[in-house]
Amino acid sequence: MGIRIDPEQNEVRALERVTNWRRERVVEIGCGDGRLTLRLARLGAFVHAIDPDAKLIRTARRNLPSRFAKRIRYHVGQAEHLNHANESFDLVVFAWAL
Amino acid sequence: MVHALREAHRVLKPNGILIDLRPALVHRRVGIERAGRFRQLGRMYESLDDDRAANRSVASVLRAGLFRAEWHTRFSCRRVMDSLSDFRTFIDEFVALGTDLPPHDRLIHRVQRALETTGSTKKIVVRGPLTMNVLRKRDVAALEGGSHGFGL
Repeated sequence: MGIRIDPEQNEVRALERVTNWRRERVVEIGCGDGRLTLRLARLGAFVHAIDPDAKLIRTARRNLPSRFAKRIRYHVGQAEHLNHANESFDLVVFAWAL
Repeated sequence: MVHALREAHRVLKPNGILIDLRPALVHRRVGIERAGRFRQLGRMYESLDDDRAANRSVASVLRAGLFRAEWHTRFSCRRVMDSLSDFRTFIDEFVALGTDLPPHDRLIHRVQRALETTGSTKKIVVRGPLTMNVLRKRDVAALEGGSHGFGL
């Protein structure tokens, strides 16, 4: 079974309390293999997920379910240089990345 | 880290939200769980310097008036593993992330012994709380103009 992180989903419950994620535009920084990204997409968000590790981004893309293909974009990138326009997102999530 | 927070401020819409989600500033506890009961075997002695630096960065952008702190919460988070090799992988991944982690051979050995002696169904569990800071973007132009009187 490997390693299961937060099987109780306490993390996603805490995130749910912050806002209504439905249709919100989100940048997730430090997405890794996309574990949290999928949870954000399940909440209804459109997620641009970024990680500096190209190998992890490849894994995340491989594991992306087709039903979320229109909601999630994975990019290799650095938190210090986001390739996005000013004032273009509703939320920025630093996922264990600060 | 401050640069990353400033970049987040740039891409956020007015009144946008920044969420800083990460492990709390405590060493993780490692143990065996059987029938829902946790028996602690030891702690991980990872360096917490990066977390302290992250706290300083957040404090810095708050002081600079880029964001205002809106909410903070802390909650438990478990990592559950079925085998010693999973636990070794977890430790290896920790090291690969660049975390300053001293050798944990003793702890691994303790976990191995516990798995051998406990019998029946058991899991290796690493417990460490997470913290979540929720910050709200403030309008820098208004701050610079002093028109809103944010008191900086």
